[in-house]
Amino acid sequence: MTKEEFKDACKPIARGLFGKQGSVRYERPHFPLRPLEQMLMDLVSIDPVDWYHYVFSREPLNGKFNDEQRRHWMEEATACGQQYARRMIEKYGSSDPEKLARGMGMKVSYPTFPEKTDRVLFAEYRVPDTICIYMDAVKKAKKYLAKPEICAILTEKLDVSRLLLAHELFHHVEEKYKKEIYTKTEKIRLWSVGPLHNDSTIIALSEIAAMAFAREIIGIPYSPYVMDVFLVYGYSPEEASGLYEEMMEFVGRQPCDPVEK
Amino acid sequence: MEYLVGIILLLSFFALAYYCIKGYNLMIGFLIITVIWTVLPLAGTMFVSADFLAENEILQFSGAKGLVSILNKIYQSAPEGWGTTLVNVCWGAWFGRVLMDTGIASTLIRKTVELGGDKPMVTIALLNIVTALIFTAMTGAGPVIAIGVIVLPILMSLGVPKAIAMFSFMGSVAAGIYLNPVNFAQYRAFYITPDEMPDFTLGWYAFHWGYAALLIMLVVTTVLAGIYLAKSKTSHAWAAQRRNAASEQRNAPMYTLILPIVPVVLKIAFDFSVIGGFVISGFLALFLCGRMKGTFSENCQLVNKLYYDGVVDTAPLVGFLLTLPMFNSVASYASPYFKVILGNVMPKSELTVCIVFAVLLFMGLFRGPMTLVGCGAATLGVLSNVASFSVPFLYGVFAIPTITVNIGSCITQSWVAWGLAYTKVESKDFLKLSIPNAYITGVLQYVAVFIMLGGLGAAWFA
Repeated sequence: MTKEEFKDACKPIARGLFGKQGSVRYERPHFPLRPLEQMLMDLVSIDPVDWYHYVFSREPLNGKFNDEQRRHWMEEATACGQQYARRMIEKYGSSDPEKLARGMGMKVSYPTFPEKTDRVLFAEYRVPDTICIYMDAVKKAKKYLAKPEICAILTEKLDVSRLLLAHELFHHVEEKYKKEIYTKTEKIRLWSVGPLHNDSTIIALSEIAAMAFAREIIGIPYSPYVMDVFLVYGYSPEEASGLYEEMMEFVGRQPCDPVEK
Repeated sequence: MEYLVGIILLLSFFALAYYCIKGYNLMIGFLIITVIWTVLPLAGTMFVSADFLAENEILQFSGAKGLVSILNKIYQSAPEGWGTTLVNVCWGAWFGRVLMDTGIASTLIRKTVELGGDKPMVTIALLNIVTALIFTAMTGAGPVIAIGVIVLPILMSLGVPKAIAMFSFMGSVAAGIYLNPVNFAQYRAFYITPDEMPDFTLGWYAFHWGYAALLIMLVVTTVLAGIYLAKSKTSHAWAAQRRNAASEQRNAPMYTLILPIVPVVLKIAFDFSVIGGFVISGFLALFLCGRMKGTFSENCQLVNKLYYDGVVDTAPLVGFLLTLPMFNSVASYASPYFKVILGNVMPKSELTVCIVFAVLLFMGLFRGPMTLVGCGAATLGVLSNVASFSVPFLYGVFAIPTITVNIGSCITQSWVAWGLAYTKVESKDFLKLSIPNAYITGVLQYVAVFIMLGGLGAAWFA
């Protein structure tokens, strides 16, 4: 037996004895795999206002609201996002998110981090003037967008990194106009005891308005929430299929058939 | 000759510390060190001086029969003795699964958030309290992850920077563990067998130090989170969150939200059986939340599945937990040699121990020589055999680096490692927040140990 062969023979024993601590056993839920093209076709056909169930399912205060309130807020916040988009386009004389960002004095970076599929981070805005667009998700999406059938569904207007940038720009706009903007002035009373009370804004309104803002600036005909499935698909088609199922259930539609094994 | 054996044993201790810090398999590490610490002290008796042997009765055994009896004690009786502790771990894990499946844990979190609203600091404070309460009953990576996937996105959606959200959540989980009956039984078994010292119960421990330890950790974590938050910049993120599990969306009735703390309350107030508390509260939860509406056979399957899932949650720990008692047992045979080498160096007063341990808290990180779920078991073996301290005092001394430092602040803790991947917080960013917390909390807890557990009478010595 050569020295190398001996080393190879010892490796499994050494790994067994001195292997690092096993990582935490955590199994994500499993979902049937569905075809990307069909999922996107279904999702782009959902009216932007009908996304309210999905949007509010991620809202911390969701348990306190009824459907009527959710729908009303969805409409109002969408209108707010669109209105501020038009205002910013007019103010800075451009609908290009990069030019808008420059005009607003934003520091934009494009880091590439590998993501986990539990929570895929697309972009982030940090007060007062920093935006990070995480390119790992964007690069994976570009691969699919290059396919003509996918591009036909999502339209040629879609530029994922610009869409993400536009979304984050709204949060900056929101900070700037926080005293007057609807998403910050609309409040609900959580509790009151005598003179004491706690009024709170609704976080989902910011996100709804940011989506409407981005949609108006980029000019896509569907809700940017479609990106939740599209961008996650690059990491895990199964996880994206799970999200798609949830979205379809929220709008009361039947999900498309799973891919045959 | 006893000096030479002592030095070799000491070197093997440092080798074990290095092994643990490198993150290698703890179960195998402790098994190897147990074998080394069996062979050296027992074989050493053939070469040591007659005076040394005469002074240490534990090392006197006659012939093969005596040797086999010692080996049986180390490799059979000691792990068997831990069976009682292990049963508590399994039932605790089942109860954790019940709280998740019935939606009680997630409802509790959601209702708490509805009180705080968009005020991050109020919500953090409330969530920390509720998280700590929940983890007085639940334990293991499964439940922490199940609660983490609810709490962390909520905090991040409120604009709390992800590192602060992570540090605050993990700190409050650790705070709750100070009163967790399963963890108490686990750590208690490091010092004495389950039958020894019947007065050292969770209730006694809670009133004498446990409540103080929990409160200190909870308050310091929350105050530090507030300070960090005041200094930080709000952030908004666009992130796709995985589809929620059905149990996370389930709404449990309000009156069931009290059930997570019932086993702990019963144990502390009446010294009621921990497993009994888990069974009563667990089945109450299943019935009151409508999870037992199926046929008898379906209900049996559900209970069985929850038990299975719970036990699997704890599986990675079980091997380690069952190897440790062998090591704890063998440490008493190695101790006479350690006494020769370290007898004059090891601290002998309670004040010195508290000061030295407070200074060396960082050695509880990375499974170092201070944490019981790492190489600290060996340190305890050395300390408790070369000097004489009461069991509750030693419990407090080692609980701090184990719970505050290792479980609450270290990236080698399984659920902290999960949290870092989930939130995409860099290890160094988490440690920058968690280490100051570990030190401030730890020092205050050592002050409490010295005041509340120092100077106990002879009845508290093993």
